[in-house]
Amino acid sequence: MTMTDSPPAANTALAAASPRVVGLFDALTTTDHKRIGRLWIRSGLLGLLAATLVGVVLTIENSNSSPDDVFGGINNYFQYFSLYRFGLVLLVVAPLFVGLATVVVPMQVGATNIAFPRAAHGAVWLFMIGAGTTVVSVVSGGGWGALDGVTGAEQDAIALTLAGTGLVIVSLLAASVCVATTVVSLRTSGMNLMRVPLFAWSMLVAAGVWLLTLPVALSNLVLVYFDLRGGPRTPESFGIAEGSNAIYSQIGWLVEQPQIYAFAIPVLGVLGTIAPVVAKRRHAQHVIAVALIGLFGLLSVGGWSQPWFQGDNYDEKFVFIVFGLFAAIPVLGSIGAAADTIVGRGSDGDPDPGADVGGERGLAGLLSVYGLGAIGAALLLLAGTVAGLARVIQPWDLGDRTTVTSVMNLVLFSAAAAAIAGIWFWAPKIGGRELPVSTGRLAMLDVVAGAVLLGGADFVNGFLETPAFGYQVAGSSAPLVAEPSNQGFVEAMNVVGAIGAVLIALGALAVFAAMAKAMRSSGAVDDNPYGGQTLEWTTSSPPPPGNFSEPPGRVVSEAPLLDTVNENGEEA
Amino acid sequence: MFTTGFKFFFGIGMALATGAVFYGYTTGGNHMGPLSMGWKGGIGEHLGYSLLLGLGVTAMTVALFLVFFRDADPAAQAHYMGVEQIPTNSLVTASFWPVVGAFAVGTMAIGLVLHTAVFVTGLVVCGVVAIEWLMDGWADRATGDPEANRALRNRVMAPIEIPALGAAIVALGVLATSRILLATSKLGSVVVAGVVSVLILGIAVLFARKTRINKNILAGSVLLLAVAVLVGGIVATVTGERDFHPHEVHDAPHGTDTGEGH
Repeated sequence: MTMTDSPPAANTALAAASPRVVGLFDALTTTDHKRIGRLWIRSGLLGLLAATLVGVVLTIENSNSSPDDVFGGINNYFQYFSLYRFGLVLLVVAPLFVGLATVVVPMQVGATNIAFPRAAHGAVWLFMIGAGTTVVSVVSGGGWGALDGVTGAEQDAIALTLAGTGLVIVSLLAASVCVATTVVSLRTSGMNLMRVPLFAWSMLVAAGVWLLTLPVALSNLVLVYFDLRGGPRTPESFGIAEGSNAIYSQIGWLVEQPQIYAFAIPVLGVLGTIAPVVAKRRHAQHVIAVALIGLFGLLSVGGWSQPWFQGDNYDEKFVFIVFGLFAAIPVLGSIGAAADTIVGRGSDGDPDPGADVGGERGLAGLLSVYGLGAIGAALLLLAGTVAGLARVIQPWDLGDRTTVTSVMNLVLFSAAAAAIAGIWFWAPKIGGRELPVSTGRLAMLDVVAGAVLLGGADFVNGFLETPAFGYQVAGSSAPLVAEPSNQGFVEAMNVVGAIGAVLIALGALAVFAAMAKAMRSSGAVDDNPYGGQTLEWTTSSPPPPGNFSEPPGRVVSEAPLLDTVNENGEEA
Repeated sequence: MFTTGFKFFFGIGMALATGAVFYGYTTGGNHMGPLSMGWKGGIGEHLGYSLLLGLGVTAMTVALFLVFFRDADPAAQAHYMGVEQIPTNSLVTASFWPVVGAFAVGTMAIGLVLHTAVFVTGLVVCGVVAIEWLMDGWADRATGDPEANRALRNRVMAPIEIPALGAAIVALGVLATSRILLATSKLGSVVVAGVVSVLILGIAVLFARKTRINKNILAGSVLLLAVAVLVGGIVATVTGERDFHPHEVHDAPHGTDTGEGH
């Protein structure tokens, strides 16, 4: 750290450090967090479309009695089943939230850029390379294990899947460090942690949980990689070479409770940010919402609940049951706090003087794409955590039933719905244009209704003793297709699930249609078209390099824009 | 010296690590076990101890991260630059090394599966990226003037970069061409050699005639090449090595040269 020259005045000199970025060369060298975030979001949306299409085929396949017709064998079915699950978590939900956070969080905390922008840029490219490697290797015969034994070339393809998954996890970890450090270290003057906007806070919590747990998944991958390459040399060997779903079992905890909740923590942040905007008043229970998001994060730490540490009966351990029982509480509390904000009269009991900062109000606000999405996503998350609660009630014995799949689908599509709501809400800051409302409503209703049908069908089937596929193949002695107590009803519910999957895929298509429509539109967008209350709405749409033409002033509350509006609803 | 973020995370980390030791001793840990992470004695209840210590170590790692990389601390940045006001724009200039680094890590991962040479190539590129990234980071903070910083960086690195890049391009070209020549027939290798020669001549003429090349075209070409290398690696992994059919040596009387197998 050497000073070789006397620095000129910071503002004028540093303005040249962030030139306007255009063209491919600049896209490859950018350090602008908005551009980096857009790459994450596009990757996540592409993943959403692909994953939902795979989901449609899987659920249609489930609707008939033999689960391997379309795929040409149980092993191929297993590969796409695994791709759908891990894909939804690692290639859809996580990148969507990381992308939103990369664009929005620095502006929300009043920073000029994300922390470690070069690392953030490297992370998104590493993600794309890892995602591409994973998908190509699975399609080419790899995947997370092979039920019928691993042969020569297949072993390489499986190893490539493991390597690709590892790259994706490393990229998410790097991005998490950037996001978390931005919230911790780059907050503007006066913004203590209690004044951080709820979305930024939820991303800090989520990034912390990911940093704590994803390295465990990485370690699992390294262990099974060595086992795959080295063969069964130790008593702890997974027996991968002989043919089993051992690799899936080792990292299956990523798509099960409590870890699955970690990918939905930002759902509460999106709800907590959008609810006050819809209500046109401050969040009625901001401090409580902060605490509830933190509690939900704590209850979603899941690296420990896996066979490697706990044995096969890890879901019967006391801590696992406690986590499952209590996870619904912070979600219910967050929804209650949002409802209090929307229905109630503000934190001090009076109408907020900042009510006139623009945007739709009342029912119109609730029916906006972001309003529908935030509330729908939160209710889906509540349903997911309640299903998770049912799973840990031991007398019901739902631990190896389709209830597990129900929890996963409800939670992950709740996260996807929240991310889509966020994309619509922050579209003026992400891409400098608003997204079409009618197509957005259609997409949101499709995704939420589809998730209800998909998750609901599996939830009901769980009570009909339908085994979850991942558990069916876990032990060689278990039958691949168990006889449920009511086969006809189960198949009918599977058809309902398939309809849900089709609706979700249509929703994903509608998102792409809306984006294509928005790309063709032109025209100025207001700086704050929806009446946002946080710092990102003080800058232009799209924001300039460096985000703010002038540094944000001292922040004295969690809703700085309301602080600048006087009792007559005018800018102070 | 110590930022707020460092104090926050380090405090949490220390509290959790202390809690882990306390928890270890109160749940059956003995001797120096909870203090030495099980090296000298038992640590007590594994799950709680691991969770607490894991959280603590993570928090302390984040704390060290924050104090080492002070560019995430606007107050420290302003202090370092000797200015009163916290900079409104990012100091971090554009750089293609993150993208190169991502491809290098990707190459390493694929090389781990495919071939040691690929892995080592990725590792070497990672090393180059690390040095370049460090130099960029140093130059960004050298003065308050981005142009002066850029000139300073180029003055240090250009004498190393340009010869090294030239050597790498020549080596890569020779290696790639030799592989192609070995994989094709006799006539095919003559054609390939001719095409490659014309390409080299053409590119050289293009460079000689145009003093400035569009950066986007250059970036697109490099990106395509990088993607092609990765895709080639994945395809090679998935398809496996081609079958070799060595010439069979028929049994022949000792001392008799049949002429077969050569």
